[in-house]
Amino acid sequence: MENANLLEIKNLTKSFGELNVLNGIDFTVMQGERIFVIGPSGSGKSTLLRCLNCMEDPTTGEIWFNGENLADLKVDINKHRRQIGMVFQQFNLFNNKTVLQNITLAPTYLRKKDQNKIKTANFFKKIANLFRKNKKELAPTISAKQITEEENERAMKLLKRIGLEDKANAYPSTLSGGQKQRIAIVRSLAMNPKVMLFDEPTSALDPEMVGEVLQLMKDVADEGMTMVVVTHEMGFAREAATRVLFMDEGLIKEDGTPEQVFDSPRDERLQEFLSKVL
Amino acid sequence: MDWANKINKFLDTMSSEHYQKLLLTGLWTTVKIAILGLLIGIVIGTIIATVKVSPKYKLLPRILDKICTVYVAIFRGTPIAVQLLLAYYVLLPMMGVKGVPAVNVGIVVFGLNSGAYVSEIMRSGLNSVDVGQMEAGRSVGLGYGTTMLKIIIPQAIKNILPTIGNEFISLIKETSVLSFIAVSDLYVALIQHVAAVKYEWVIPYIVLALIYFVLVLIITLLIRILEKILAKNDRTKGKPKRKKQLVS
Repeated sequence: MENANLLEIKNLTKSFGELNVLNGIDFTVMQGERIFVIGPSGSGKSTLLRCLNCMEDPTTGEIWFNGENLADLKVDINKHRRQIGMVFQQFNLFNNKTVLQNITLAPTYLRKKDQNKIKTANFFKKIANLFRKNKKELAPTISAKQITEEENERAMKLLKRIGLEDKANAYPSTLSGGQKQRIAIVRSLAMNPKVMLFDEPTSALDPEMVGEVLQLMKDVADEGMTMVVVTHEMGFAREAATRVLFMDEGLIKEDGTPEQVFDSPRDERLQEFLSKVL
Repeated sequence: MDWANKINKFLDTMSSEHYQKLLLTGLWTTVKIAILGLLIGIVIGTIIATVKVSPKYKLLPRILDKICTVYVAIFRGTPIAVQLLLAYYVLLPMMGVKGVPAVNVGIVVFGLNSGAYVSEIMRSGLNSVDVGQMEAGRSVGLGYGTTMLKIIIPQAIKNILPTIGNEFISLIKETSVLSFIAVSDLYVALIQHVAAVKYEWVIPYIVLALIYFVLVLIITLLIRILEKILAKNDRTKGKPKRKKQLVS
């Protein structure tokens, strides 16, 4: 499925009351792309990212994902959000859950919920089968306990990968920023998302801890994960991006490979921006 | 005043097993109504608070919000004694319901009443939890209700525990108005039964005050313990206490 369109954003606008933050955004995220969104503060980068999984409901426009328009309020957004991972600037680990629970909570709960649906369906099939000549086959099920064990095992594997397996039963408040953010990334990964959104993942970190988070992001990128990243880490963007978007005043002003954007910027505002941050 | 005589009179009455039992039953009734009332109150309060803080794009949440506002206004706007009387002597007979024990009416009315108060406490608790927690829950595909139940409400309850303790304490003291509908609670047992035997009120009133006081002390202690248990995910956990150093 190389080069398949994963996310298609069409004429997206977002306003908070009188304030127009996004003024018509069009772009497409392809499978395996790593799109980095840069731009001055207040340019609408974060809002754009948050619109992609409808954390902010778009004012107008369309967001096509899995053949459905997420901007449509009738769409079951929760179903799609499982496949869109999101990493926040402030980590947002669940404070009342241990590290392990943070990772397993959603996948375990959602899988159990799905299983319950299948079991209910099976139950009615069974009753119907009593009166049928051609018995319908029941859907296979697994027990709740098995789901819990599987998810715990998977979470431990993920924790081992980032070297934090000894923190599995610790609470987030005892961790450093870098550890928290890496766990937040792993929490998103545990959902097996098709695309991951990063909202300034390193902006709230001590300079010392930025490295470990970027390293993990690189590892995730190397596995072929599709990513949309809002960041101020220009060096990292140049290194890891396949495509860079420059945003200003709620519009995408420049869209190209990192080389094009960083080395030969055409937009005036971008030239000014780069001269300040590089 | 002849204190020795008064105390003797009281002890004399209390030496009878009948009155000891009466007092203990009264005490238990008071505690039971306060605990069950608070539990009902927490459930109702949580539901109301959740309705109040949830987004109101759709019609249903907006209607629910109005209903909750009216509910809170009514139960906070009238004295609990009046609510008890209305429920027991007006509402139930009007609905043609007979034979409901006054204790049960007490529990329900206290629950409904404290629900109104707890809803405001809970709302401040829900607001005290960072919005990021809700966003994180939603971002991994959990629904609004699930995130509320599993992430937000547990954290909110931890934050409001001292205030809930307050509510519990005032509830346990307010139960004395249950005598209005002839529930034999601590107050009724001690004053209307025990004290009336010997026409001696001074000591029973003092004892009554003491019992309430001790009850409240016990509750305060229990809430402290609960707070400590729930604080397990706090940053201060396990940190050694700073010892004062002697300056020589």
